[in-house]
Amino acid sequence: MTTPTAGEPAAATSDERAADPNSGPRRVLIALYAIFALAAISRAAVQISTKFDEAPLAYSLSLFSGLVYLAAATGLILRGPVARGIAWAACSIELLGVLVIGILSIFDSNAFPHDTVWSRFGSGYVFIPVILPVLGLWFLFHTRADRAPTEPAVGR
Amino acid sequence: MNSVFGYSLLTAGLLLAAWLGLQSYRRRAVNGPQIIAALVLEGAILVQSVIAVIAVINGHEPAEKVTFLAYLGGVLLPLPLGIQLARIERTRWGSIALCFTSVVVAVMMLRLLQLWNSHSTGFG
Repeated sequence: MTTPTAGEPAAATSDERAADPNSGPRRVLIALYAIFALAAISRAAVQISTKFDEAPLAYSLSLFSGLVYLAAATGLILRGPVARGIAWAACSIELLGVLVIGILSIFDSNAFPHDTVWSRFGSGYVFIPVILPVLGLWFLFHTRADRAPTEPAVGR
Repeated sequence: MNSVFGYSLLTAGLLLAAWLGLQSYRRRAVNGPQIIAALVLEGAILVQSVIAVIAVINGHEPAEKVTFLAYLGGVLLPLPLGIQLARIERTRWGSIALCFTSVVVAVMMLRLLQLWNSHSTGFG
Protein backbone atom coordinates (compact mmCIF):
# COMPACT_ATOMS: atom_id res chain seq x y z
CA MET A 1 0.00 0.00 0.00
CA THR A 2 2.73 2.47 -0.85
CA THR A 3 1.97 5.65 -2.69
CA PRO A 4 4.63 6.26 -5.32
CA THR A 5 3.85 9.94 -5.73
CA ALA A 6 1.85 11.49 -2.97
CA GLY A 7 1.86 14.96 -4.51
CA GLU A 8 3.64 18.14 -3.76
CA PRO A 9 3.23 20.01 -0.44
CA ALA A 10 -0.06 21.89 -0.23
CA ALA A 11 -1.24 19.68 -3.09
CA ALA A 12 -4.43 20.30 -5.00
CA THR A 13 -7.22 18.43 -3.27
CA SER A 14 -8.54 17.08 -6.57
CA ASP A 15 -5.40 14.99 -6.97
CA GLU A 16 -5.47 13.80 -3.40
CA ARG A 17 -7.81 10.87 -3.93
CA ALA A 18 -5.63 9.33 -6.61
CA ALA A 19 -2.55 9.97 -4.53
CA ASP A 20 -3.79 8.40 -1.32
CA PRO A 21 -5.66 5.10 -1.52
CA ASN A 22 -6.22 5.24 2.23
CA SER A 23 -7.97 8.59 2.27
CA GLY A 24 -11.40 6.94 2.61
CA PRO A 25 -10.80 5.06 5.88
CA ARG A 26 -8.83 8.05 7.13
CA ARG A 27 -11.76 10.38 6.54
CA VAL A 28 -14.25 8.03 8.18
CA LEU A 29 -11.93 7.91 11.21
CA ILE A 30 -11.73 11.72 11.15
CA ALA A 31 -15.55 11.83 11.26
CA LEU A 32 -15.65 9.39 14.19
CA TYR A 33 -12.93 11.16 16.16
CA ALA A 34 -14.32 14.64 15.48
CA ILE A 35 -17.79 13.61 16.68
CA PHE A 36 -16.39 11.96 19.81
CA ALA A 37 -14.21 14.98 20.53
CA LEU A 38 -17.33 17.13 20.27
CA ALA A 39 -19.34 14.76 22.47
CA ALA A 40 -16.73 14.36 25.20
CA ILE A 41 -15.60 18.00 25.34
CA SER A 42 -19.19 19.30 25.37
CA ARG A 43 -20.11 16.84 28.08
CA ALA A 44 -17.09 17.83 30.14
CA ALA A 45 -17.78 21.53 29.65
CA VAL A 46 -21.34 21.11 30.93
CA GLN A 47 -20.26 18.89 33.84
CA ILE A 48 -17.37 21.11 34.93
CA SER A 49 -19.33 24.34 34.62
CA THR A 50 -22.45 23.13 36.43
CA LYS A 51 -21.48 20.46 38.98
CA PHE A 52 -17.71 20.01 39.12
CA ASP A 53 -17.68 19.40 42.89
CA GLU A 54 -19.87 16.31 42.61
CA ALA A 55 -17.24 14.21 40.86
CA PRO A 56 -14.08 16.17 40.03
CA LEU A 57 -12.14 13.07 38.98
CA ALA A 58 -14.77 11.79 36.55
CA TYR A 59 -15.41 15.20 35.06
CA SER A 60 -11.71 15.95 34.64
CA LEU A 61 -11.43 12.59 32.93
CA SER A 62 -14.29 13.54 30.58
CA LEU A 63 -12.31 16.59 29.54
CA PHE A 64 -9.11 14.58 29.18
CA SER A 65 -10.80 11.98 26.97
CA GLY A 66 -12.23 14.75 24.82
CA LEU A 67 -8.79 16.30 24.35
CA VAL A 68 -7.38 12.89 23.41
CA TYR A 69 -10.09 12.49 20.75
CA LEU A 70 -9.31 15.98 19.49
CA ALA A 71 -5.60 15.14 19.30
CA ALA A 72 -6.35 11.95 17.37
CA ALA A 73 -8.61 13.80 14.93
CA THR A 74 -5.95 16.47 14.44
CA GLY A 75 -3.26 13.85 13.93
CA LEU A 76 -5.38 12.22 11.22
CA ILE A 77 -6.31 15.49 9.48
CA LEU A 78 -2.78 16.87 9.34
CA ARG A 79 -0.29 14.57 7.70
CA GLY A 80 3.38 14.00 8.05
CA PRO A 81 5.56 12.29 10.66
CA VAL A 82 4.69 14.63 13.54
CA ALA A 83 0.95 14.30 12.95
CA ARG A 84 1.33 10.53 12.70
CA GLY A 85 3.16 10.53 16.01
CA ILE A 86 0.36 12.52 17.61
CA ALA A 87 -2.22 10.10 16.18
CA TRP A 88 -0.26 7.07 17.43
CA ALA A 89 0.07 8.56 20.90
CA ALA A 90 -3.57 9.65 21.08
CA CYS A 91 -4.94 6.29 19.94
CA SER A 92 -2.65 4.42 22.36
CA ILE A 93 -3.61 6.64 25.31
CA GLU A 94 -7.25 6.27 24.29
CA LEU A 95 -7.08 2.47 24.24
CA LEU A 96 -5.29 2.40 27.58
CA GLY A 97 -7.77 4.89 29.03
CA VAL A 98 -10.91 3.11 27.89
CA LEU A 99 -9.60 -0.24 29.19
CA VAL A 100 -8.43 1.09 32.57
CA ILE A 101 -11.50 3.26 33.15
CA GLY A 102 -13.74 0.51 31.82
CA ILE A 103 -12.39 -1.95 34.36
CA LEU A 104 -12.33 0.60 37.22
CA SER A 105 -15.90 1.71 36.52
CA ILE A 106 -17.10 -1.88 36.88
CA PHE A 107 -15.07 -2.89 39.93
CA ASP A 108 -14.89 0.46 41.71
CA SER A 109 -18.04 2.29 40.72
CA ASN A 110 -17.58 4.71 43.64
CA ALA A 111 -14.60 6.31 41.91
CA PHE A 112 -16.68 6.95 38.81
CA PRO A 113 -20.24 7.44 40.01
CA HIS A 114 -21.01 9.67 37.06
CA ASP A 115 -20.62 8.44 33.55
CA THR A 116 -17.73 9.44 31.40
CA VAL A 117 -17.30 8.52 27.76
CA TRP A 118 -15.03 5.67 28.83
CA SER A 119 -17.13 4.28 31.72
CA ARG A 120 -18.07 0.60 31.29
CA PHE A 121 -16.01 0.49 28.08
CA GLY A 122 -18.21 3.18 26.54
CA SER A 123 -21.50 1.32 26.94
CA GLY A 124 -23.36 4.65 26.85
CA TYR A 125 -21.97 5.18 23.35
CA VAL A 126 -22.75 1.69 21.96
CA PHE A 127 -19.17 0.63 22.83
CA ILE A 128 -17.72 2.76 20.03
CA PRO A 129 -15.14 4.18 22.53
CA VAL A 130 -13.54 0.75 22.94
CA ILE A 131 -13.68 -0.09 19.22
CA LEU A 132 -12.46 3.28 17.95
CA PRO A 133 -8.86 3.15 19.28
CA VAL A 134 -8.48 -0.35 17.83
CA LEU A 135 -9.60 0.92 14.43
CA GLY A 136 -7.32 3.94 14.75
CA LEU A 137 -4.27 1.87 15.70
CA TRP A 138 -5.06 -0.67 12.98
CA PHE A 139 -5.27 2.10 10.41
CA LEU A 140 -1.99 3.65 11.55
CA PHE A 141 -0.28 0.25 11.50
CA HIS A 142 -1.73 -0.60 8.11
CA THR A 143 -0.62 2.69 6.54
CA ARG A 144 2.81 2.91 8.20
CA ALA A 145 4.56 2.31 4.84
CA ASP A 146 2.94 5.45 3.47
CA ARG A 147 5.07 7.55 5.74
CA ALA A 148 7.09 8.93 2.88
CA PRO A 149 8.93 12.27 2.69
CA THR A 150 6.89 13.17 -0.40
CA GLU A 151 3.66 13.05 1.58
CA PRO A 152 1.65 16.27 1.55
CA ALA A 153 2.20 18.31 4.67
CA VAL A 154 -1.45 19.19 5.02
CA GLY A 155 -4.48 17.44 3.67
CA ARG A 156 -7.95 16.34 4.42
CA MET B 1 -39.25 22.69 20.15
CA ASN B 2 -42.05 20.72 18.63
CA SER B 3 -42.07 17.02 19.52
CA VAL B 4 -43.81 15.82 16.38
CA PHE B 5 -41.34 17.82 14.30
CA GLY B 6 -38.51 16.45 16.44
CA TYR B 7 -39.48 12.82 15.90
CA SER B 8 -39.90 13.55 12.19
CA LEU B 9 -36.31 14.85 12.11
CA LEU B 10 -35.12 11.80 14.03
CA THR B 11 -36.83 9.50 11.52
CA ALA B 12 -35.47 11.52 8.61
CA GLY B 13 -31.95 11.15 10.01
CA LEU B 14 -32.33 7.38 10.24
CA LEU B 15 -33.81 7.14 6.74
CA LEU B 16 -30.97 9.22 5.33
CA ALA B 17 -28.49 6.96 7.16
CA ALA B 18 -30.14 3.86 5.69
CA TRP B 19 -30.04 5.38 2.21
CA LEU B 20 -26.35 6.19 2.61
CA GLY B 21 -25.61 2.78 4.09
CA LEU B 22 -27.15 1.22 0.97
CA GLN B 23 -25.09 3.58 -1.18
CA SER B 24 -21.92 2.47 0.58
CA TYR B 25 -22.94 -1.20 0.28
CA ARG B 26 -23.21 -0.62 -3.47
CA ARG B 27 -19.68 0.81 -3.39
CA ARG B 28 -20.88 4.21 -4.55
CA ALA B 29 -20.05 7.75 -3.55
CA VAL B 30 -22.69 10.07 -2.14
CA ASN B 31 -24.86 11.38 -4.98
CA GLY B 32 -26.48 14.77 -5.56
CA PRO B 33 -29.95 13.95 -4.19
CA GLN B 34 -28.34 12.62 -0.99
CA ILE B 35 -26.34 15.81 -0.51
CA ILE B 36 -29.53 17.82 -1.06
CA ALA B 37 -31.42 15.61 1.41
CA ALA B 38 -28.70 16.15 4.00
CA LEU B 39 -28.79 19.92 3.43
CA VAL B 40 -32.60 19.97 3.75
CA LEU B 41 -32.37 17.97 6.97
CA GLU B 42 -29.74 20.35 8.33
CA GLY B 43 -31.98 23.31 7.48
CA ALA B 44 -34.95 21.69 9.20
CA ILE B 45 -32.83 21.00 12.30
CA LEU B 46 -31.76 24.65 12.33
CA VAL B 47 -35.43 25.69 12.27
CA GLN B 48 -36.13 23.31 15.15
CA SER B 49 -33.20 24.71 17.14
CA VAL B 50 -34.43 28.28 16.65
CA ILE B 51 -37.95 27.25 17.75
CA ALA B 52 -36.48 25.58 20.84
CA VAL B 53 -34.27 28.55 21.80
CA ILE B 54 -37.26 30.90 21.52
CA ALA B 55 -39.34 28.54 23.68
CA VAL B 56 -36.59 28.41 26.34
CA ILE B 57 -36.31 32.22 26.31
CA ASN B 58 -40.09 32.37 26.76
CA GLY B 59 -39.88 30.22 29.87
CA HIS B 60 -39.97 26.56 28.87
CA GLU B 61 -37.74 24.63 31.29
CA PRO B 62 -36.23 21.47 29.81
CA ALA B 63 -34.46 19.05 32.15
CA GLU B 64 -30.75 19.92 32.51
CA LYS B 65 -31.08 23.21 30.69
CA VAL B 66 -27.35 23.68 30.06
CA THR B 67 -27.04 20.18 28.58
CA PHE B 68 -30.11 20.81 26.46
CA LEU B 69 -28.69 24.04 25.04
CA ALA B 70 -25.34 22.33 24.38
CA TYR B 71 -27.11 19.60 22.43
CA LEU B 72 -29.13 22.23 20.58
CA GLY B 73 -25.93 23.79 19.27
CA GLY B 74 -24.10 20.49 18.87
CA VAL B 75 -26.83 18.88 16.77
CA LEU B 76 -26.08 21.40 14.02
CA LEU B 77 -22.46 20.26 13.60
CA PRO B 78 -22.39 16.58 12.50
CA LEU B 79 -24.15 16.97 9.12
CA PRO B 80 -21.93 19.81 7.80
CA LEU B 81 -18.92 17.66 8.74
CA GLY B 82 -20.41 14.62 6.99
CA ILE B 83 -21.40 16.63 3.91
CA GLN B 84 -17.93 18.13 3.64
CA LEU B 85 -16.26 14.72 3.99
CA ALA B 86 -18.69 13.23 1.43
CA ARG B 87 -17.87 16.00 -1.03
CA ILE B 88 -14.10 15.59 -0.81
CA GLU B 89 -14.20 11.79 -0.51
CA ARG B 90 -15.90 10.69 -3.73
CA THR B 91 -15.89 7.00 -2.83
CA ARG B 92 -18.03 4.65 -0.74
CA TRP B 93 -16.11 5.90 2.29
CA GLY B 94 -17.71 9.31 1.87
CA SER B 95 -21.08 7.54 2.03
CA ILE B 96 -20.04 5.84 5.28
CA ALA B 97 -18.93 9.16 6.80
CA LEU B 98 -22.25 10.87 5.99
CA CYS B 99 -24.17 7.76 7.10
CA PHE B 100 -22.45 7.91 10.50
CA THR B 101 -23.07 11.62 10.99
CA SER B 102 -26.76 11.10 10.07
CA VAL B 103 -27.08 8.45 12.78
CA VAL B 104 -25.41 10.83 15.25
CA VAL B 105 -27.96 13.52 14.41
CA ALA B 106 -30.82 11.07 15.01
CA VAL B 107 -29.37 10.02 18.38
CA MET B 108 -28.82 13.65 19.43
CA MET B 109 -32.38 14.49 18.41
CA LEU B 110 -33.66 11.63 20.59
CA ARG B 111 -31.66 12.96 23.55
CA LEU B 112 -33.02 16.47 22.93
CA LEU B 113 -36.59 15.17 22.87
CA GLN B 114 -36.03 13.26 26.12
CA LEU B 115 -34.70 16.37 27.86
CA TRP B 116 -37.42 18.57 26.39
CA ASN B 117 -40.30 16.37 27.46
CA SER B 118 -39.09 15.20 30.86
CA HIS B 119 -40.06 18.46 32.61
CA SER B 120 -42.39 19.85 30.03
CA THR B 121 -46.02 20.75 30.39
CA GLY B 122 -46.81 20.11 26.76
CA PHE B 123 -45.50 20.35 23.26
CA GLY B 124 -43.43 23.43 22.58
